[in-house]
Amino acid sequence: METIQTRFGTIEYDASNLLHFPAGMIGLPNLRNFIVIPPKKDGPLFWIQNVDDPDFAFILTDPANFFLDYSVVPDDSEKNSLKIEDEKDCYTLSIVTVPADQNITVNLAAPILYSPQTNRAIQVVLEDNKYQTKTPLPQT
Amino acid sequence: MLVLSRKAGEGFLIGDDITVTIIESKSGTIRIGIDAPRDKKIFRQEVYDKIKEENVEASRWNPVDIDSLGGTIKKRN
Repeated sequence: METIQTRFGTIEYDASNLLHFPAGMIGLPNLRNFIVIPPKKDGPLFWIQNVDDPDFAFILTDPANFFLDYSVVPDDSEKNSLKIEDEKDCYTLSIVTVPADQNITVNLAAPILYSPQTNRAIQVVLEDNKYQTKTPLPQT
Repeated sequence: MLVLSRKAGEGFLIGDDITVTIIESKSGTIRIGIDAPRDKKIFRQEVYDKIKEENVEASRWNPVDIDSLGGTIKKRN
């Protein structure tokens, strides 16, 4: 096991079990390897901690928790990046932004495609203008 | 930065596998055609900048956020 110092304290992780972004995140190409921190108490949010730069951590959620008709299908080059054959091996995750006022938003314009089989992930941009980087959660 | 002058119909290459062609220039807008391998992602500059900015903003949360939010946000199902 290895350890990393973050603003959340010391985190211990298994370097052979990291979530790998072969191209990094959009605009942040050096952020390639992340520790996945599972949710507490079966909540909808979990987070990933980058190991290349400890300052970067992201809160993620399964957008299907909030947006029932939202789904992203990987194209051939995206399946290639994830090293999967079948699009059924790909899951969609969304990045959550928590501003100072705690009115959180979900980035539906640039989701993360993730394959549990290969532990690889990519961030993609949806060309469809109907999706916003700051989408409020639906009112319940 | 390399600066080139091109007319409509002319183009240039980036490496061996990316070809950029100027299609037309009309009332301040230039239409460009790009031939590139499928795995080369092409972004409009302002879209790329916006996503980068959102990524940076999303990374700046506080450790207390996830605990306080976890209690207030519920899944739909």
